Order: sequence, then C-alpha cells, then structure tokens
Amino acid sequence: MLKTTPFHARTAALCQGQNWRRWAGHVVASSYELQHEREYHAIRGAAALLDVSPLYKYVIRGPDAAALLDRVVTRHVARAAVGRVLYTPWCDATGKVLDDGTVARLDETTFRLTSADPNLRWLGDNAAGLDVAIADVSDTTAALALQGPTSRAILERLCDRDLAGLRYFQITPARLRGVAVTISRTGYTGDLGYEIWLDAEYALRVWDDLIEAGTPYGITPAGILALDIARIEAGLPLLEVDYVSARHALIPDQMSSPYELDLGWTVSLEKERFVGRAALAAEAARGPAWKFVGLEVAWDAIERLYANVGLAPRLPTVAWRTSVPVYTPGGEQVGYATSGCWSPLLKKYLALTHLEARWAAPGTALEMELTVEHRRRRAAARVVPKPFFDPDRKRA
Amino acid sequence: MARPYDAIVIGGGHNGLVTAAYLAQAGKRVVVLERRERVGGAAVSEQVFPGFTYSVFSYVVSLLRPEIIRDLELPRHGLHVLPLESTLTPLPNGDYLAQWGDHDQSRRELYRHSPRDAEAYDEFGRLMHHLARAVRPILGMRPPDPTSLSPRDLLGLLTLGRHFRGLDRPVFHALHKLMTMSSADYLDEWFETEALKATKGASGIIGTLLGPRSPGTAYVLLHHYMGEIDGVFRAWGFARGGTGSVSEAIASAARGFGAEIRTNASVARVLLRGGRATGVVLESGDEIAAPIVVSGADPRRTFLGLVGEAHLPGEFVEDIRRFRFRGSSGKVNLALDALPNFTCLPGVGPHLRGAVSVSPSVAYLERAYDDAKYGEFSRRPYMDIVIPSMIDPGMAPPGKHVMSIFVQYCPYHLNGGWTDAKREAFGDAVIDTLARFAPNLKSIILHRQVITPADTERIAGLAEGNIFHGELTLQQLFFLRPAPAWADYRTPIAGLYQCGAGTHPGGGIMGGSGRMAARAILGARS
Amino acid sequence: MTLDAVVIGAGADGLVAAHYLARAGKRVFVLERRDGNPPWPDAGWTPPRVVRELALARHGLRTAAPDPWLAVPLPDGGRLELWRDVRKSADAIRRLSPRDAERWPAFCERMARLARLLEALYAAPPFDPLSRAPADLWRLALTGLRARRLGRQGMLDLLRLLPMPVQDLLDDWFESDVLKGAVGAAGILHLKQGPRSGGTAFGLLHHHVGSPPGVFRPPSSNLGRVLESLPGVEVRRGDRAVVARIAVRDGRVTGVVLAHGEEIAAPCVISEADPRTTLCDLLEPGWLDPDVVGAVRHVRCRGVTARVMLTLDRAPGFEVLAVAPSLDYLERAYDHAKYGRISEQPYLEARHEAGSNAGEHRVTVHAQFAPYAPADGGWDAARREALGDRGVRTLAEHVPALSDTVVSRTVLAPPDLEAAWGWPEGQPYHAELALDQVLFMRPMPQLSAYRAPVGGLYLCGPAMHPGAGIAGAAGANAAKVVLRDG
Repeated sequence: MLKTTPFHARTAALCQGQNWRRWAGHVVASSYELQHEREYHAIRGAAALLDVSPLYKYVIRGPDAAALLDRVVTRHVARAAVGRVLYTPWCDATGKVLDDGTVARLDETTFRLTSADPNLRWLGDNAAGLDVAIADVSDTTAALALQGPTSRAILERLCDRDLAGLRYFQITPARLRGVAVTISRTGYTGDLGYEIWLDAEYALRVWDDLIEAGTPYGITPAGILALDIARIEAGLPLLEVDYVSARHALIPDQMSSPYELDLGWTVSLEKERFVGRAALAAEAARGPAWKFVGLEVAWDAIERLYANVGLAPRLPTVAWRTSVPVYTPGGEQVGYATSGCWSPLLKKYLALTHLEARWAAPGTALEMELTVEHRRRRAAARVVPKPFFDPDRKRA
Repeated sequence: MARPYDAIVIGGGHNGLVTAAYLAQAGKRVVVLERRERVGGAAVSEQVFPGFTYSVFSYVVSLLRPEIIRDLELPRHGLHVLPLESTLTPLPNGDYLAQWGDHDQSRRELYRHSPRDAEAYDEFGRLMHHLARAVRPILGMRPPDPTSLSPRDLLGLLTLGRHFRGLDRPVFHALHKLMTMSSADYLDEWFETEALKATKGASGIIGTLLGPRSPGTAYVLLHHYMGEIDGVFRAWGFARGGTGSVSEAIASAARGFGAEIRTNASVARVLLRGGRATGVVLESGDEIAAPIVVSGADPRRTFLGLVGEAHLPGEFVEDIRRFRFRGSSGKVNLALDALPNFTCLPGVGPHLRGAVSVSPSVAYLERAYDDAKYGEFSRRPYMDIVIPSMIDPGMAPPGKHVMSIFVQYCPYHLNGGWTDAKREAFGDAVIDTLARFAPNLKSIILHRQVITPADTERIAGLAEGNIFHGELTLQQLFFLRPAPAWADYRTPIAGLYQCGAGTHPGGGIMGGSGRMAARAILGARS
Repeated sequence: MTLDAVVIGAGADGLVAAHYLARAGKRVFVLERRDGNPPWPDAGWTPPRVVRELALARHGLRTAAPDPWLAVPLPDGGRLELWRDVRKSADAIRRLSPRDAERWPAFCERMARLARLLEALYAAPPFDPLSRAPADLWRLALTGLRARRLGRQGMLDLLRLLPMPVQDLLDDWFESDVLKGAVGAAGILHLKQGPRSGGTAFGLLHHHVGSPPGVFRPPSSNLGRVLESLPGVEVRRGDRAVVARIAVRDGRVTGVVLAHGEEIAAPCVISEADPRTTLCDLLEPGWLDPDVVGAVRHVRCRGVTARVMLTLDRAPGFEVLAVAPSLDYLERAYDHAKYGRISEQPYLEARHEAGSNAGEHRVTVHAQFAPYAPADGGWDAARREALGDRGVRTLAEHVPALSDTVVSRTVLAPPDLEAAWGWPEGQPYHAELALDQVLFMRPMPQLSAYRAPVGGLYLCGPAMHPGAGIAGAAGANAAKVVLRDG
C-alpha cells in the first residue's frame, strides 16, 4: 500500500475524478476538480492550498548542526541568521547534484532540511565526528503550501502575528487559531506564498481552519497538475524530471552539477570545505559544459505547423515532463527540454531546457521539436531568462 | 536408409537439449539419448501425486539466457514465464520482512525495520546493476586459458583484461570485493537489518556447502540483478507448468529443427577408436554411431563413468577427481489441501504469490551450515518456498495447492549414509521448521515427496546430488571448469564434447553451456 | 628547527620509514606513545632490500630458525615433528602415512614456488591494475611475467589456490589429519575464518613467505630491538609523545597537536597507527569524503587471538608446539568465534622464546579463537583466567608436568593487546588478511598507495601493503612515496 498524507481525509473527499498520483511513496491528488485549470488560476489570482507533506523533512539539532549542513550543502549555512531559509542543492564528491531543498534555521542550533528524496543516510554518513542529532520528521510533520495573491490575507485571519514583516525566504514560529506551526515565506510557485509546517496530528484542524478563513478570499485546494504549470513559469527545476540525482544516475552524462542547473548562485566556494567543493571550484574556473535555461516557443510557428495539416493548434493543457530535443535552426541537436507547458497566464509556450553552453545565451534562436499529426516537426524558439514569471508581490 | 547421425547428445537435460536444438538448427542430424522416461534432467515437472504437478528439483527459471529464448523461439514452443514478485521472510517474533514488486511499497516496508537500510537498498541496487553489467560479458564468453600461448587464448585474455581495466575505478574495486568476500561481510557494509542480510545473502549458499560467512559467497548476490539488466526482457520467474515446461519447450524447439529425442535410452559408455569418439553403447547393448558425441552429464559421470579413466590423460583424471561436488541441497514437495496460514501475515494475500524465505538472520543460516559441515542435515534449515499453484492454477486441482520447498543444508555425505528413515527425518525437520511459522501446515498436507542429494543423484543422475554439476566456487569456475585447458567444451577425446553445467558458465537453468558447446562444435573444423 | 616529517609510531614500519627519510637527508621526528613496554613482538620476514639498505644485518639482525619448526602431538602419544629439511620431515610423516610422505616434497616444492612469487609482490609497492601510468604498467607486466615463469603447473596452482579453502588444498594432497591440521593452521592465523573458508589457502601461502621450502610458519626476528638501537633518528616516547590531532589547513596537513597541547609543525605526517585511528580519531574531522570515512570504518580488523605468556622454571621440551589434531578441530574452534564465543578447544601454538635464561624460560602461547568482544559480556579477570587455565591444561595433556613448571602466567586478551601495542581490536595485522584486503586493496583501494586523501598525510603500518607480519616493508614503501612526492 502507498502512504497517505495527514490531510488525506480531506483531500480524498475533494478528489472528484479520483485523479491521484504518487509522490515519494504517497498518494496525492493530481487535481481535485475534473479539470485542473481553476486550481492553477487560483495560484495566480487568489490562493491555492497545496498538500506538500510528501517532502522529506529532517530536523538537525546540536552544537555542530550548522557544521553538518555546511559540510553537506553548497550554500553557506553558518552565516544564515535565525529565521532565514536557504534554497540549496547538495552534491556528491564529484560535484554532481544529489538533491535540492531548503534549509531553515529555526534557532541557533536547530535547522530543518527539506528534500525531494530521502537523505537520512547521507546526512548520517557526513556527520562523523560531529556533535549533532538528526531526526527524520517526514511522517510526523505535515506541510501545506498556501500560494497566491490573497495568501497573506488568509493567513493573517488565523495567525497570531502580523505576517507583513515576514520577508521572502524567512521563517517564523506562529499559531494558527492556537495550533503551533512554523510559517515560511517560501514555495514552489514563484509567487507570493507561504508554507506551513505543523505536527501531523493537527493537520485536519488546520486544513479546516484555512478553508474556512480562506473561502471568502477564493482559497482553492490545488493538485500537482496546477503546481507543475506554476513552477515551470517560475523556472524551478524538479528532481528526476529536469535532472537525475547523482545517486540514481547510471552513467556520468545523466548527472548534473549545480552550474549546469543554473544554480551556480547557490555555490559558496568561499566555504573551506564541503562535499564536492574541489570539483565545483574546478568547474567554476573552466565554466560548465551545459546550461539550464528558459525557452519560449514562437506561437506563430506552432500555428503554422498545425495549419499546414488543416488543424488549429492543439497544445496540451497540462505540463509535460518528457525529454524533447532542441536544435539549432535547421541544424544539429544541441540540447533537450525536460519540462514544458502552455502558460495560461503568460499566453506563451514555455520549456525548461538543457543546452550545450555555447547555445545558451539569452536571445539565441533555436528550434524545439513538436510532433504534429504523427510527424516530428520543429518550431522556432528563443532562449529567455528565467523565471518566466516574476511578480513584484513575490518579494513584497 | 536414414541419414547417419552427425551428433549424439548424451542426456536430455536442458543444456543437452539446447545443444541439440542449435546443432539441429544448423542442419546437423542429432539424436538425444535420455536415460529416464522424460527429458529435463533436474528441470522436470511430474505428477508424483495424481492431480498435483511438482517441479521435482529446480523450481524457478533464474537466468535462462535471453538469446536462447529468442534464438529457439521458446515462447512459441510453450515457455511462459510468470513473475515472482515478492519475498516474505517470517521472523521468530511474529513479525516479518517483505520485499515487494513495487518500489514504494518495498521501501516503506524496509523503512519500518531500518530507515537507513531503506535508503541503502536503492544505492546497493545501483551498484549491483553496474557489477552485473561488468560481469555479464563473461557469461557468454569462451574461457581463455591463461597458461596457454595460443593466439586464441591470448586474444581472449587481452579482451578480458581490456574489459576489466575499462571499468570505472569504484566498480572495479567493488567487483573485487564482491568476488572475494563472504555475503555476510559484504552485506554488513550496506545494511543493518539481519533478516534482510540473511535473505539476500542466502542466494550465496544455494547449492553450495558454504555458509554466509564463508568468503566467496558474495558474488552470487549478482544473480538477482543479472536478470534486471535484461530490462523488461525478464527471464526470471516461474515457468507456467513448472520447470519441466522449460525443458519441454527446448525439446519442442529441437524437434522442430529436426532433432530426434529418445527417452528410456540410457547410455552405458562412449565408443572409442584410436582415441576418437565414434558413438555410444546403450545399456541395452545397442550401438549408435556418430562422429560427434556431446555429453550433458556432469564431468564425473562423463569422464570417469562413460569414458573411463584408462582412456584419459592422468593429469586430466586427477583434475576431474579433484572437481568437487558435495551436494548440499534438499527438496520437499507438498500437495496441500489448503493454503498455509502464516502467523506473521495471516490469511490469503499477495505474499503467497511470491517466495517465502526462512532466513531470519545470518546466524540462523550459519548454524544450518554448521550442521552440514560435520555430516548432518540442518536441524533448522534455510528454505526457499514457493506455492506455484498460486501463480499457475493448473499445477493443482481447484482449491488445492502445491508447495515447493528448497532446502539448505542437506549434505550428500551424511554421517552413516542416507536411508529411508533418515530421509523421512530430514523431511520432518523441514516441516517442523516451517510449521513454526505456519502452524496449520501439518494439517493440510495431502502428500509429501522428500528429495535428498542421494535421491537427486539416483533419479536425475547428478553426481553427489550437486545441482550445479559441480560446486560454483571460484577455484572451479571459468577456465578451471571442469579442468584447466579443458574449459572450452572440448575434451581430451577427439570428437567428444561436454555441454553440461560442469562447464562455464555453470549451473542454474541458464542453457549457457549448451549453447556455447554447440557453437564450439559448429565452429570447430571437422 | 623546521621538520620535514613527523612519524607517528615507533614500530617496525614507523622506524623504517623514519630511517629511510633520514638517509635521504630529511629532518624527521618520531613520536611513540608507549614507553617501557617491550618492543612489539612478532617481527616476521623483512624484505632483503630493506635489510640491505638499512644495513640491519650489520646492526645485529638475527632471524630465529627453530628446528623442528613445529611439533604436533599425536593422538596416541608421541609427536609429529616437521623439520627444515624436507626429507627429514618426509621421514617423520611416513610413520603416519607413507602416501603423504611421498607427496610431501612435491607439495613443499610447489608451495615454495608460489611463495617466491608472493615474496616478490610483497617486496615491491602494490601495482594498481587500472593505472595507465608507465610505472604501474611496467609492474603489472612484470608480475604477469613472473607468474608465467611459474610454468603451467605453477600458474594453475596459483589460480586455483588463491580462492581455495586450505582444507580443500590439503585434502587434495594428504590424508593424515594431524599433518593437515599442523600445516592448515597457517591458513587461519589471526583470521576469523576456519580452514573450510575460502581464502585460507592464500593465508597458508602468506605465512610461508620468507621461510624455506617445507617450513609453513613465518620466520621471527629481533627486528624490534635492532631498529631501536639504530642511530640517526630522533624518537620521543611516553606521555609527552601522545598525538591528539593531525592538523589540517586548506586540505593539507600542517603538523600534529600533542595531548598536552604542544604543537609540532611539519608539512608531512606519516602515521603507523591503524587507518581508523589515524583517519577517524586523529585527523581533524571534515576533510574526508563520506565514502572514504565509510570505507575506513569497514576495514575489518577482527582480532581473534589471545596470548598466554608463561614463565617456566625449566625448558619445556619443545621449541614450537601446536595443538591441531585435525582440520575439523580448527574448524570447530572457529565455529565458536562465529557466534562471539571463545573456543572451547582453542588452537594453541606455543613458542619457547629465544634468549631465555636458565630457570626462567618464557613460552608464548598463541590461543585462537578469542574474540575481541565476546557476545556475552567482556573480558573480565575470570574469563582471562579461564582461558589461561584451558591453555595450560591442554598443553599439559601433551607436555608432561608442564603445569608444575609454570612460575607465572599472564593472559593478554585482544583488548589487552589493543591497549598494549595499539592493535585495533587486538589484530596484530591491523587489517585482517583477507583476499579483499591484500595488495592493491589493502586495506582499502583509496589508501593502497600509502597516501591519505589529505595532502601530506601518509600511512604505513601493518594495515598497509604488504603488512600483516611482513615487518618494515610498508614503512620502506611509504617513505619512497613520500620522497617521490617531494
């Protein structure tokens, strides 16, 4: 049997089309309504409530907690103040990414790490000689994401403290109608939003409170299909979709360094040592062989390809997670897109793409493969900077 | 008058049948001579108890070579491999450890025992994948003789050397460790759950008179992962109709190419003239001539039995005498009136469609081995149990079941020798042990067949009841199997070849020896 | 005074490494925490090159050559004595089995040929089979050529023998239980395996290295005393020579910090301590990747030998006596160890120490198997005494009135050996002699070239190739690597 999240009693009742999928050994809703569009628009227009409990979460506590994290992740953890959240990948000894997640400093000697894959063993293996305790709280910590323009207003109706002061990528303890939680201004949508972390035993209560408080503000439970579109618009990579963990890769070509994932900004080479540092320093010096960029496919090119066979353009309304070749105009393959979608908000066809470095400059003209009526065609596309969508309210 | 035979295959075991099929496919006129009334050797399905089909000896299709399945179109000839998805290890405290077919489900189950092991399992699998890929080419390779200076052998050595030197450094070192360590030590480096180490490590003791702490048992861990690198091709599983259907499918393919198969045709000896093989003499006295004779029997029976040491070089005879058999496996086949009810997972469930492994800890396996070392069968043996009728309803009447129990250890060399009473005592030990985990067992047994290595030798013709035609220890593998300089399917007798599991790549129902023997014969200039 | 290198440990390898460096003009300082203990025992065979280059013979190096090299009690009284003269041994064996006597010379000759090959491998640093560097390719080719020179039979002997259990090897050759027990015990010395375990034939071969044909025990020498007396290297011993930490900056060692706080700067540190102590306890944490730390933790030590030191008031009537009536006896002794228990009937090898004075004869008894951490509680006084009693009693069964001549007795269980001589888990070889922990795998592939993954840090000692009783070779090889690295 697969695991269910602490919110399953509520989410199961809402999942009209029984549209479930797996996430980290759990069942989660792909969409609650029969179509996912309204859920997506809630992210961008009101507030979406997402069950993100399947994330792995670890609490790292002790005098050497920062030291352990600094050994493992690429960012500089010791410098982070209490209440700060860092997004960071971590690498193996050859500088290839194992996983990515967030590190939140809950107090001087306590951190919470989130990740897409389990990392208890990796953390333990790196803790040799350190005075630190690592607890796997994945199953006992429920997690919700409340994302969208009205998310703050909703939370403030329940929260015992003012959230206007909670800045982007900060975290604070709080109470939601008496239930102790931590609230981080983080998310996977690239929008104004919060993630709420709480003991699993209060999950249903908090869910109900949020629904009640949020209904006047358009709160909408949203599933993974809606989230996928938002995160692509936000330019955020997804493990096992946009990159393969070095832990699972079978050949070197399947692995990626942070530089190859456009995460070079997370690599703090001034740290004296962390796993993979030597390899990363060398790569930084010579430049990565691959880059991870945004690609915008020209709408008129798409229209023309469909018109040629007598059809109006038919693009999928859900995001895709397959590998799609990208070429130089009329030339060889120089990369591949790994995630893509039609953005209902931006009215553009977007893709997250890996390109050989010399083809990755913004503005570069390329072509992306498009299968039209069983034939593989190419549509003109252009490298654009990420994120595709970056509203002011995200950081305001 | 019929065309004379181009080749005689002695023994209708699966390797002999494979050889016959390939030779016939190449246009040779082949006859297979099988002593018993049915082909298959130790891969046979028999209705020992009416209505119930036992896979008498071997019970799973483990590594049947994909190229053989493809070349001989075995599915067209009736081979249907059903998946064996899960393994249940009942524990003495009423709990259990299970490995399921679904990754998430397995992970959750393993996490219950050890969060670290749940993560380690995937990484272990990845390493095994690399090691299996590193080893795979060797399975299909004609072993080169490192003491020879012939161009063919030197080239073989060079290829081998290049292959290993081309491996990634960590893979090379991991392979070295895997080949030299005990399965207990190797698994200790990865896991902490005793039942997991024992269940996985048990594959290293199958058919071998060694314990999980004996160096040289780790490499068999690759067995399971070998099948994985065939991708969805998936040869591993249970053959519909029992393992006999594998042999029947190969026999059907062979006949389809024109091979003749005679049962109840026991060969007494190989005919020799001027140091060449010219045919065989049957027990009945009939003689059959052919310029090529291929023996699918084990090396001892072939060389010391069918040929006779007087006709063989002294050094070769010594090597064959030194080739160790030491059968250590037993089998108990049961006809059941109902399904066993396991205390740790009561009722009928998916766990009964997979394997049940009685291997609660490494110490348990090691103690079972200790008994056998000094000439007794294990009082508390290791068991690998499947209920074929759960996957293949035709194996038993409706509502009833067959159970196949493979047992280690049951030594051929038992103190005082095997008698009927000893056989029954062994059977009792097996049933008693299993009944501790499934208390209803004794009440549902309709019929019981107990096979000791002495029985295996007597019925299936395997020397000392060793299921692999000789131990699969490193000193008897590859170019040393069955003897140095004679590991390429030829023998010191011109025209006589060997195709059984006593040659590379060895035992398990692989068919590899049969195929490569055929290639050697077809490739050799006449 | 600026030092070029600090050497942690004044055992055979530490001192040999120090002397090699000193001869090359380097300023070396050796730190040895132990003071007052007798120099470590069991110096085995030292490669001739090391003896020659350090002029050890001139400084009094002597190798003991007991003759008979082993005596084994026979079940019906009397002893089987095995001599340095192959024919003399054959004569002794003839009384047990004429067939075995016929085969003995051939067995000795064939084993000796293989041991010569192993000697050559041990005298050199380990070759890396994957390396494309010319030096390594050359060594690989040389090894291949040496193997070929064994001849066809020799090559097959080698390839078959390497993975074999010593029981199978001896069963192939001989029928006499006592003979097989006596010889086979060499396959399991200091190893947590029995004669039926794979890799023990290799153990036999290893313990044959350095000895003439037909002598299946390693030689022993006074290397310890000789090295201590050798001038040219400064050694500090005792409480003020205890290293607490190996300091690192920017991925390179900067020296050591002693327990009492003193810091000694040096760009190079060579540690004779076992790998786990060196890399997990002494080295500043955080400089090793987790896979290296894991691999170090997985190096198997598993000391299984206790020493019973007897002082007798008269000569015991043997030079080396072993209680090994059969291979099964050894296997049963091993069975107990598998489950964490002390062998009820241990393998005993008693050696009358050279240099004993009249009225004070020292006998050291090797008792196997005695696990480092018995499953049912630790080594308390009662347990030690029980083992001592058992040892003396068993010996006394074959040596009349032995008990009456015992003046004093000390039992050193594996934890005592660890405390006394720094042997991890009481294992004198530091890393057990197994096929996955020899040559380029000793003690683990990342360390086999004597370099640690931190710049300027090197390891020598029994855990490094060839180690395992081959005294001083690892030190010599490590020093060569240090000098080559500059």
